[in-house]
Amino acid sequence: MADDVRRWSDELARDPNSLVFLELGETLRRQRLLDVAHKIALRGLERHPQNADAHDLIARIAVDRGDLQTARERWATVLQLVPGHAGALKGMGYLSFQEGRLTEAEQYLSHVAATDGGGDDRVTSALATVRRTSMSLPAVPEPPANAAGAETASESLPHDPQCLFADLLVDDAQTALLLDAGGYVLGGIYLDGDGADVSSDVGAQLSGITDEVRRAMRHLDIGEWRSITFETQVAVVAMAPSADASLVVVAASRATPLGLVRRLLERCGRRASAWLERGGAE
Amino acid sequence: MTPPLRPIVDGLTRQRGVRASLVVSEHDGLVIESSLRFGQDGDRVAALAASMYRKARLSAAAACLGAVAFLQLDADRGRICAVGGRNDLVIVVVAEPGANVGLIRVELFKALEMLA
Repeated sequence: MADDVRRWSDELARDPNSLVFLELGETLRRQRLLDVAHKIALRGLERHPQNADAHDLIARIAVDRGDLQTARERWATVLQLVPGHAGALKGMGYLSFQEGRLTEAEQYLSHVAATDGGGDDRVTSALATVRRTSMSLPAVPEPPANAAGAETASESLPHDPQCLFADLLVDDAQTALLLDAGGYVLGGIYLDGDGADVSSDVGAQLSGITDEVRRAMRHLDIGEWRSITFETQVAVVAMAPSADASLVVVAASRATPLGLVRRLLERCGRRASAWLERGGAE
Repeated sequence: MTPPLRPIVDGLTRQRGVRASLVVSEHDGLVIESSLRFGQDGDRVAALAASMYRKARLSAAAACLGAVAFLQLDADRGRICAVGGRNDLVIVVVAEPGANVGLIRVELFKALEMLA
């Protein structure tokens, strides 16, 4: 591999117009030498601005750097230059999935699968993941003005408070709680890695954050708070105020895209409002 | 050696929709460096954001969720995003409600790397 890098570098030095920068940049990217790979790719692109693979390379480097905005722009350019470019379609599918746009992700990946005849196992696997996630998150229309009431009418609410959010959660690593103003658990359940119910402890600890948030809101002049999201080493946690000064808390594994967590929070918030409006567990 | 902080906060404030960016001490909420658009009260934002971040960090640790890396607060008329974990420093951004929070998050993590 080192020999290849040296050979390609020499070739590029001899002939700066050579397309070998694509292989060199990709190899350096895989070696996690992202700054060098980016420089090589940009120089190549300056000489070959209409080369779709050069834009594709920059997009992949951008993803590795966590710069999803640039990646999206580059892959959009690739698809303008070469509609149906497999790398760009896969990339756009990945980005859409990360941002929780599952329908869009499925469209991109289906396009690739149809183009290559289903021969790429990674595409098939990614498509299956997107479809599985889509099925777990059935489409819910945008909430009407009286969202709580509408949801009550359209679904039967669980009577067991612990099962309040069970059907909304996508996998075992996701959990949701409804807490009252004092931090006591009203509904939902939070299980730790060993399967123990730690709802009360976690609820009490996390509800304390909202006191600090309310205090801050009074002084910051940015209106009422709508949600707070934070990423920790092991989880993504999102919280939002609900009816009767209650609080909805959703947690998911760190690998869960933020967009999905926030979408889950909205669903759980609507469920909580409807449930409380009905009178809770009655 | 501590890197110059001014370019870091200036770079963040140049992002579309960002009203203010600050480097704050999480411990005492004091501003270490800031870049503010007109009308922003840096001291107030710094103190409150640092306090919120600290509370989130302590609560998450108590709930066995590990260290907080990124925090985002959405309100009717604005957003606050913060990252921390480097030498008691927290980088805070105040943004418009419609700002691209994904992009701000990426820039905040880049800024945090620069503080390392």
